[in-house]
Amino acid sequence: MLRDMMANFELYQPTAIDHALNLMNRYGDDGWVLAGGQDSFDWFKDRAKKPRAVIDINGIDDLHGIRETADGIEIGALTTLTEIETSALIKEKYGVLADAARHVASPQIRNAGTIGGNVCQDTRCWYYRYGLDCYRAGGNTCYADTPEGIDREHCLFGADRCIAVSPSDTAPALVALDARMVVVNGDGEKEVQAEDFFIGPDVDIMRMTILQPGDLLKSIVIPNTWAGARFYFEKVAERNTWDFALVNIAAAMKVDNNAISDIRIACGGVACVPLRLTVVEEVVKGSPPNGASADLAASAATRGATPLNYNGFKIPLMESLVKRAIRES
Amino acid sequence: MNTNLSREVVFSDDAAMGRAGMSRRDFIKGIIATGASISAMGYVFGGCAGDMGSAPGAVERLISLNVNGRVRRVDVLPQETLAMTLRYKLGLTGTKLGCDRGECGACTVLVDDVAMYSCSTLTHRVRGRSVVTVEGLEGEDGALHPVQRAFIEELGPQCGFCTPGQVMSAVALLEINPNPTREEARIAMSGNLCRCGAYDNYLNSVMRAAKEAS
Amino acid sequence: MAYQLIGKNFTPPDVAAKVTGKAKYAEDFRAEGMVFCRLLLSTMPRARVRNIDVSEAMKMKGVVGILTADDVPEQNAPNNPILTNNPHYVGDPILAVAALDEQTAQDAIDKIAIDYEPLPFTLDPLESLYPGGTNAREDGNIRNRRSGSETIKWTAGDFVEKDVCPTGKPATEWSYGEVDQGFENAKLIVDESFVTANNPHHSMEPRSCMALWQNGKCFVYGATQSQSRPTRDLARLLDMDSEDLVYIAEYCGGGFGSKGTAYPVMAIPPLMSKKVGRPVMMRISRAEEYFIGSARHGFQGRIRIGFLGNGRISALDMYIIQENGAYRGGGDWTAAGDAVSLVYTPQAMRFRGIPVYTNTPIRGAQRGPGQNQIACVVEPLLDKAAEELGLDQLAVRRINAPDNDSKYGRRQGPVTSVYMREALDKGDEAFDWAGKKQKSRQKSGSKVIGVGIGQAYHAAGSNGYDGLVRLTPEGKLHIHSGVGNLGTFSHTATSRVAAEVLTCKWENCVIERGDSRRHLPWNHAQWGSNTSFTMTRTNYVAAMDAKNKLLEITAKDLGGSPDDYDLSDERVVHKTDKSKSLGFADAAKRAIELGGKYDGHEAPEDIHDMTKASVAGLAGTGLIGVAKDNLKREGVVPAMAVGFIEIELDLETGKYEILDYVGVAECGTVLHPQGLETQIKGGAVMGFGLAALERYVYDPQNGLPANMGLYQCKPPSYLDVPSEMKTEVVDIADPQNPVGAKGIGEPVQGCAAAALLCAISDALDGHYFNRMPVTTDHIVNAAAGREQSYKVLQVNTV
Repeated sequence: MLRDMMANFELYQPTAIDHALNLMNRYGDDGWVLAGGQDSFDWFKDRAKKPRAVIDINGIDDLHGIRETADGIEIGALTTLTEIETSALIKEKYGVLADAARHVASPQIRNAGTIGGNVCQDTRCWYYRYGLDCYRAGGNTCYADTPEGIDREHCLFGADRCIAVSPSDTAPALVALDARMVVVNGDGEKEVQAEDFFIGPDVDIMRMTILQPGDLLKSIVIPNTWAGARFYFEKVAERNTWDFALVNIAAAMKVDNNAISDIRIACGGVACVPLRLTVVEEVVKGSPPNGASADLAASAATRGATPLNYNGFKIPLMESLVKRAIRES
Repeated sequence: MNTNLSREVVFSDDAAMGRAGMSRRDFIKGIIATGASISAMGYVFGGCAGDMGSAPGAVERLISLNVNGRVRRVDVLPQETLAMTLRYKLGLTGTKLGCDRGECGACTVLVDDVAMYSCSTLTHRVRGRSVVTVEGLEGEDGALHPVQRAFIEELGPQCGFCTPGQVMSAVALLEINPNPTREEARIAMSGNLCRCGAYDNYLNSVMRAAKEAS
Repeated sequence: MAYQLIGKNFTPPDVAAKVTGKAKYAEDFRAEGMVFCRLLLSTMPRARVRNIDVSEAMKMKGVVGILTADDVPEQNAPNNPILTNNPHYVGDPILAVAALDEQTAQDAIDKIAIDYEPLPFTLDPLESLYPGGTNAREDGNIRNRRSGSETIKWTAGDFVEKDVCPTGKPATEWSYGEVDQGFENAKLIVDESFVTANNPHHSMEPRSCMALWQNGKCFVYGATQSQSRPTRDLARLLDMDSEDLVYIAEYCGGGFGSKGTAYPVMAIPPLMSKKVGRPVMMRISRAEEYFIGSARHGFQGRIRIGFLGNGRISALDMYIIQENGAYRGGGDWTAAGDAVSLVYTPQAMRFRGIPVYTNTPIRGAQRGPGQNQIACVVEPLLDKAAEELGLDQLAVRRINAPDNDSKYGRRQGPVTSVYMREALDKGDEAFDWAGKKQKSRQKSGSKVIGVGIGQAYHAAGSNGYDGLVRLTPEGKLHIHSGVGNLGTFSHTATSRVAAEVLTCKWENCVIERGDSRRHLPWNHAQWGSNTSFTMTRTNYVAAMDAKNKLLEITAKDLGGSPDDYDLSDERVVHKTDKSKSLGFADAAKRAIELGGKYDGHEAPEDIHDMTKASVAGLAGTGLIGVAKDNLKREGVVPAMAVGFIEIELDLETGKYEILDYVGVAECGTVLHPQGLETQIKGGAVMGFGLAALERYVYDPQNGLPANMGLYQCKPPSYLDVPSEMKTEVVDIADPQNPVGAKGIGEPVQGCAAAALLCAISDALDGHYFNRMPVTTDHIVNAAAGREQSYKVLQVNTV
């Protein structure tokens, strides 16, 4: 943590996906895929991660850009957050994603940072970032989940040795939009539901997503199921610039005859994954999007929440955001 | 970073160095005016003693960069950030390092007209792209950029350390949005911290620059 | 008085360089053969270094030198060491490595093995005061008011009352008036325990430094707010003659108190340079700046305030436990006591306090040290009392406001001038307090309006320093300023006094500053909001000396007595016979011919040695005006500020927006309106951070800091503060300054911070948070009626 000077690495700048995959295979765990770099450089400068080879995939044209497809859109993993924030297509049909992208860090970060990097970024648990040998770093303890641990930013749900949370603003929006993540590796291409792309410590305590060494997130497919639906995104962070959400929320909602006919809603900052609130969805379907439904949804949302030493405030905060999503979508 | 061993190819005359940045002559003048004993040539353009051996594994590559409208040839390490290349190899110290973590904005430069944190940009990634630093804003005749003039008029800076970054963010904004609202300007500038808290004055500066350009 | 320059805006001579990137800060200098040095910082909160194994590092190609604590001058405990074998906090510098490039220096540090013997540590002053509690240092647990450390333990009995700050044996105590009687007379007694957080300065420029030696002289390019003061203090740190030190600090990227003068790590590049025989650059990183860049002292404390029915404070009893960090620290705790005595003019008051060491980074003055923390404690309590007494918040402040007859501090000494009521009136009008008050606590959906007023004070002036000006044969006025360049432009604003006195056109003036070779006088540091008061006096006395010499020379040459002449438009002119006159350029030539005192070959006896050396260096180059400021100063010089704020707070999210802010300055005559405005607004921004964002957070289990980087420490961004703010100024001259000026930089932060806290409490129906900052999570808990997750007196926590 006290270094601030990157260690040496070999730098590769492939221009085709195949080349990148070859390099990733060659280096395995010693390789590091670099997208926008806004998270990676932190790790490198701290020397908490010292890959032998860095594979900078920015030169791969196929990974950039937003394309309209027959049944939705496909966003290249290296599309910048600024491009998403300002895309007329996304703003018009999938506004919740543009809104989420707009709330990431700062303009310069959004100019460099990519949607792929934003969803794949590592957790911000300060103990882990400090470089301590916790479970997530391959050790056998958690420093946060202790009697006096400073765990204000940590999880309400899904604790399993590790109590870190998902820091991404766009991830909940992608879950709400029922997006699919297109992953390529040496064996070919596969699509994974956004909801299943993110994994908790119960699945793998050292990773935040299903991506294994050799896997590359190629693009994100958003089906037109929710195009033009009612959306809601809100991020509550202490600073209004360059800060991570204490809690954020993204919702997509369809309303028929003043009743919620369908809804998808997901919350960040409360679990290791962007947490889809399926119980809330069930509770409010068929109800009008009003205060009463919102109150019901809120209490359903935090049922089972387990507060830690300092994060109890996330319960009312999460409830508030769920209420607002139902009320104000 | 092998900041001490710079093997930049030196152009044979100052005119070829173009308008951007400091010409060699200016740079030397600047150093002599402020420093005790310093021969800038030696530092910035190579000539420090012998074998400085960079750390194992580090391989510098000679690349061309387009900085402030000039092609500069410079040896760059794989992990070298643009901020370090600018500051320690090209002598462009107007770009400041406030945090080196992409959080404060003092290192903001334009890459293809887009505001980027140069501390969080690999130099190797900007090959073939146009980089503009605060030194590249002045006109051929040394006239200040309208944004710089407005920053002076409105007394934007206090301590001045974040100012080059603030100027670059303002320039980037006005490139794409010549007539921003104050709120748009506020958001566009929000990736630049100022501990002196000069935000109000900086926004006045941006609005003045927009007005005077229109 | 009608001035030509004072009170007028100007373009500061250093601003163009700031917008073009030409301004050179310490890390912008280069020298041939320059090597880089990096620090190895302690990973332990308290330890003894048993062994340092540098063998692997020294084998590395490119490593040129290592400095350890054994190689550097030892500092007297509890002063901050340069390097240490007894680290007292995580981040305490242990050694420095120099290498041909920075990468190699860091790689070498990674190869150094330190064998630490861990020692018990503490992060909580109250824990250290408890019987048997851990001392953060071997020499004691408190810093005493003389120069050392001692151990004070309280009794277990002191701690029995739950959630009330214990008030055991203090390190200092003072009182005036009949305190017990005051409380007996009170209609209402407010009694609260409180915590204010430590927060790092985080100046935008980390304290990088470059040094080289040449011909026995040491050249240091440093990051300091000040010029003359660090030149002397760095020479002391290096144990060398200040005449052999060339100190260059033309620009400083923010200091806020943390770069007031030379600091220990600044000695590393010169010492390393001497050792390795090359120029050495020490580039300080953001994380290092957190550790060695200083921080504001946090307080734990208890305050009891007795109010009469009309809101007048009849008695006040305050106890402050200052968290001191592991080293010397500053005087925030006593300053807080003094401030309270003046800002609220309690009829009787007792102050007690104790500074207690913890194993956390070095502390020092941060903008309004003590005064601004305590404003944030007291102001919300005034509102609480007003509400209980059925009074208006503004009325309670007015009735307790100080004036020119008010007394200051433990000695109840005089003040030079105070116009607090006038400041409140200005703010009242500009803000429309009555109108805004109507909106207080109005709800709209989940949002509610809160309003607040904050007041703050700082002692803003000093005296006894030297002024030095020089008129050249070219007719230019050179104003030599050794104060420094903190970024307020006050080095220029105060220099203009000399031009004013001498009737010089501003374009004919040159400010000499930023480099000790420019023959600078002994000046005060640019800290403590003192520059406006102190430097106008030095420049005034120097200019008056030059004026007298001009009159004398002219009388000698043109006849009559000096009194027959006056200055006008850069000429000495006979008062009645306008045909008799002498231009300044000619007068300067005559001064050189006359020699002696006129051209600096003789200097006054009472000026500082540094000024004498500068005068000697300038001798024969023009007419020298030089003098020590012996003008009268009786009493403290108060700078006062008031902030009025309106916020809209969202009860569901804990977030608020500042809808309106008016900052009012009471700083005597305005020297530079535009500069003053930037201080009021910039101070407010920093105040909003102090009130609601910034704090130290430490894990009590292992002594590690959670908040080091900027996104964790959270200095306010553009989007956390209003995009437009209003300013007002009282503008009544101070009688003890030749142009009526007083300082202002510090209280403009405290008043804004306190006002915001008041408004947050107002929006929450008067809910009083017993701590600062009040952050989003605290507000969410309060609004939801949940218990806070921190314990009442817990420190260094979220």
